Amino acid sequence: MTPPLPPVRVEKALALLPDVEALGPLRALLVSISRPDERALWSSSGPYLTLGKRGVQPEELRRRMPQAFHVITEHLQTLYRAYVEALECQQRGDGAGAVAALVRAGRGEERVGRLSQARAWYDVALRVSQALQDRRPEVESLRSLGELFLRLGQYAEGARHFQRALAIAEAEFDQPGAIAACEGLGDAALAQSQWTGAQAWYARGLRLATAGGDQRQIGRLERDLGVLARHQGDSTVAGEHLRKARECFESVDAAEEMAGLLNTQGQLEAQLGRPQAASGAYREALAWLQRAPRDAGLEVSIRLNLAELHLEAGRFLDGEEEMRRAEQVAIAGNLTGRLVQIYTLMGKLRGRQLDETGFVFFEQAIELSRMLEPSPTTEAQVYVEYGLFRERLGQREEARAYLERARELYGSVGDAADRRRVEAELEKMTA
Amino acid sequence: MLRILAVGAEGGGSGGLLHGIRQWVGEGGVEIEAAPDLPRAVRQLGTGRWHVVVAVLGEHADDDLAWWVDTLRGATAAPRLIAVAHGPSMGLVLRAEKLGVLDVLPLPVRREDFLRALRRARPITEAAVTLPVVEPHAVGEYALVGQSPAMLDVYRLVARVAPSTATVLVQGESGTGKEVVARAIHINGPVSSGAFVAVNCAAIPENLLESELFGHEKGAFTGAVMRKIGRFEQAVGGTLFLDEIADMSLALQAKILRAVQEREIERVGGTDTIPVDVRLIAATNRDLKEAIKQGRFREDLYYRLAVVLIRLPRLGERGEDLLLLTAYFVRQFAERYGKQIHSISDRALELLRNHAWVGNVRELRNVIERAVIVATDDVLRAEHLPEEFRGEEATLPDRPEGALLTLAEVEARHITRVLTQTNGQIGAAAEILGIHRNTLTRKMKEYGL
Repeated sequence: MTPPLPPVRVEKALALLPDVEALGPLRALLVSISRPDERALWSSSGPYLTLGKRGVQPEELRRRMPQAFHVITEHLQTLYRAYVEALECQQRGDGAGAVAALVRAGRGEERVGRLSQARAWYDVALRVSQALQDRRPEVESLRSLGELFLRLGQYAEGARHFQRALAIAEAEFDQPGAIAACEGLGDAALAQSQWTGAQAWYARGLRLATAGGDQRQIGRLERDLGVLARHQGDSTVAGEHLRKARECFESVDAAEEMAGLLNTQGQLEAQLGRPQAASGAYREALAWLQRAPRDAGLEVSIRLNLAELHLEAGRFLDGEEEMRRAEQVAIAGNLTGRLVQIYTLMGKLRGRQLDETGFVFFEQAIELSRMLEPSPTTEAQVYVEYGLFRERLGQREEARAYLERARELYGSVGDAADRRRVEAELEKMTA
Repeated sequence: MLRILAVGAEGGGSGGLLHGIRQWVGEGGVEIEAAPDLPRAVRQLGTGRWHVVVAVLGEHADDDLAWWVDTLRGATAAPRLIAVAHGPSMGLVLRAEKLGVLDVLPLPVRREDFLRALRRARPITEAAVTLPVVEPHAVGEYALVGQSPAMLDVYRLVARVAPSTATVLVQGESGTGKEVVARAIHINGPVSSGAFVAVNCAAIPENLLESELFGHEKGAFTGAVMRKIGRFEQAVGGTLFLDEIADMSLALQAKILRAVQEREIERVGGTDTIPVDVRLIAATNRDLKEAIKQGRFREDLYYRLAVVLIRLPRLGERGEDLLLLTAYFVRQFAERYGKQIHSISDRALELLRNHAWVGNVRELRNVIERAVIVATDDVLRAEHLPEEFRGEEATLPDRPEGALLTLAEVEARHITRVLTQTNGQIGAAAEILGIHRNTLTRKMKEYGL
C-alpha cells in the first residue's frame, strides 16, 4: 500500500492560489483547516511554527469544500436579499427601508472582511438617503462610512463623515445618531493622538447619552474616556471612568461589553505595574466572554494582552503558551489581522531571548499583512517591533531601515504620537 | 485544609448541589465557598489558593470544559476540576479524562460519586527519592547528560570525530539533542575559537532561506534594502550547523552541495565568488535514505554530509538517563525560578517513566520547567506535572494510601481507559475487554460513562 503523501505547507498552498476575490472563502477555509505537522511539534523548528509552516491535505480541502460553498451561498443570499428588499422598499416609496437594507448588506460585507465592497454598498445607501425628506437614514449611512474609514486607518476621512452625520443628527433631533457620531469623532481623534479633541467629543457624547439614560451607551462612552485617559497617562481618571462604565454594563448584564471593558482595565493595571490585578482582569474578561456570543477577535485581543503581561514579567513559557492559544483561535476564526499581531508578539518574545531565528515571525507577519486590505497602522506596528528586534540583536542598520519605514507609514495616516515614538527610538539609536 | 470553590452550584438547575456538597463533606478540614457565575469565580480564584473547583457546565459543555481547564492552569496552585454536567456525553468524559479533570459527574450528583472524585484530589503522603547530583559535561545552556550505554557510544564517536574537520551528519528523533552534540563537536574541535552558527532550515520560509544562508547584495530583490552577510560567511573559521536539512528544496540542496564541494558561495544577486572555510555539521530527524528513494533529497549531498554519521538514541532507549536528566533540569530551573527542590515523588517519577516522550529530551525539559514553576515545596510531585500526565495517572496502580477503590470503581476506570484508547468506539473497546458490546453499553450506563 502506498503511504499517504505528506501535507502541503500553507505557504506553498497560498502561493498557488491567485489573488482572486472569488477565492477568498477558499483561502479562509484552507487556513482554518491547516494543522501543524505532528512531527514538527517537538522538533527544533517547532517553536518557530507559523501559519505558513502548517500543513494542509488537498483531500481534506476537497471534502470540506461544501463548507466554503455554503459560506459563499449564504453570503450571496444576504446580499441579494438585501438588494431585493431595498428594491421593494423603493417600489413602495419607503426610502428609509431601502437605505436600511443597503446598510445591512454593507455590514455583511464588513463581517467577512470585504471592506471595499462594504464601501460600495454604503455609498449607494448614502446617495439614496440624500434624496429623502427624513434625514436619519443619511446619518446612518454616514456613520457606517465613518466607521469603515476608521477600520481602514483613514482617520481624517472617517472624521469628515462623522462630522456630517453629527450636524444632520443634531438638526433632526436624532439623539442616538448624534451620540454615535460623537463617539466616532472621538475614536478618530484618539487614533490620531489628538487627546483634547477626543476628550471633547467623548464628553459631548456622554452628556447626550446621560440625558437619554441608556446604560449601555453611557457605559461605552465612559469606557472610551477611560481608554483616552489611559493613553494620556492619567491612571486615576482612567480608573474612575472604567469603574463607572463597569457599573453601567453590570446593571444591564452586557457580557460582551464587560469583556471589552475588563480587557481595558487589565491594560491599565499593567500600565500601573500591577501585574496580578491585570492578570485577574484579563481572566475575568475571558470569563465574561464565555457568557457572550462568540467574539474570536476580542478573545485573541485579551489573550495577547495576557501574553504580553507574561512577557514583561519574563515568564516566556507562559507567554508563548498564551500566544499559541490566541493563534489557534485566530486561525480557526480566519482572523488574519489578529495573526499579524500574534506573530509580531512572538517575534518580540524571541527578541527578548536574543534568538535570531525569531525574525521568521516578523516576516510572516509582514506577509500576512500584505494579504489584508491595506492598513498602514498594522504594517507600521510590525515594522516598529521588527526594528526593535534587530536592534536588540545589534543589527543597527537593519533596525534603522525598519523603523524608518514605520515612521513613514505612521506619517501617512497622520498618527503623530506613534510617529514621535518611532522618532524617539531612531534618535536613541543615533545617540 | 482543603479549599473547594463551587461554581454555578446554587441554583435550582444544579439540583441543590451546593447544599449537597456541604452536607457530604461535613466540616472537618474542608472549606467551601460558592460563586454564582464564571466572572465571579475568576475573581474568587484570584483571592487565594484553592484545591478543587466544582463547576457546573452549561449548555456548551465542551467549550466550558476547555475554558475551565485553561483557566485553572493559570490560577494559583493550579486547582483540580470536578466538572458537573447534565447528561455528559461519552466524548466529554473522554476529553476530560485526557485533560486530567478529576471527574465528570452527571446531574443530579450522587454523594458517593462526589466523594470518590474528591478523594482523588486530597493531597497524600508520597514516598520521594532524592534527586542525584549531576556532573554534566557542560555544553552551553543544554548539557550532555547521560550514562546509558547508548549515550556512551555517542560520546565515544563525538570524541573521535571532533578533532578532525570532517563533515558530520547527526541523525535522531526530534528533541534527542542533535544541536547539543553539534556544539560539543565544535567546542572540542580545531575551530572552537571560531563562531558556531546554527541555522534551522525548517523554521525559515523557503523564499528567505537562500538569502539567509548565502546572503544577498543590496537591491537583489524587493526588500533587500542593504547588503546582507549570510550564515555561511558568518561561520567562516568556525562551524556552520544546518539543522533539519531534509526540509530544504532540491534547488537549494544543489546550492548547498556546491558550497560543500567547492568551499565557495555567491550572494543572492551577486557575481563575486566568496571562499567559505567552514566546518559543516548537518542534522535531521528524517530518514534521509528514504527521502532519497522518494526523490526528495539529493543522494550526492547525503554522501557529502554523512562523512561521519552519528545516530542519537530516543529517550526511551536511555534507561536511567531519565532520572539524571530530570535531576539536571530540576536543578537548572529551580535556580532560574528561585526554588529549592531536592527530591521527586515516587509517583511523579513513575509517571515520567511511563510517558511516551514523543519529544524526547526537549519534551522532558519542557515538562520539568513547567513542574518547577508550579511546585510549592521541596518535592516535585505528580500534581505538578501537566494535565495530560494527570490523565495518564489513571493508568498507574492505585495510590498507596487513603484512596482504595471498590471493584466497581476499578472496572469503571478501566472501561474509561479502554474507551479512551479506542477513541470511544464501543465495538473495539468491547473486543479488547473481552465482553459483548451490549454488556459494555449496559456497564457504561451503570457507571454513568
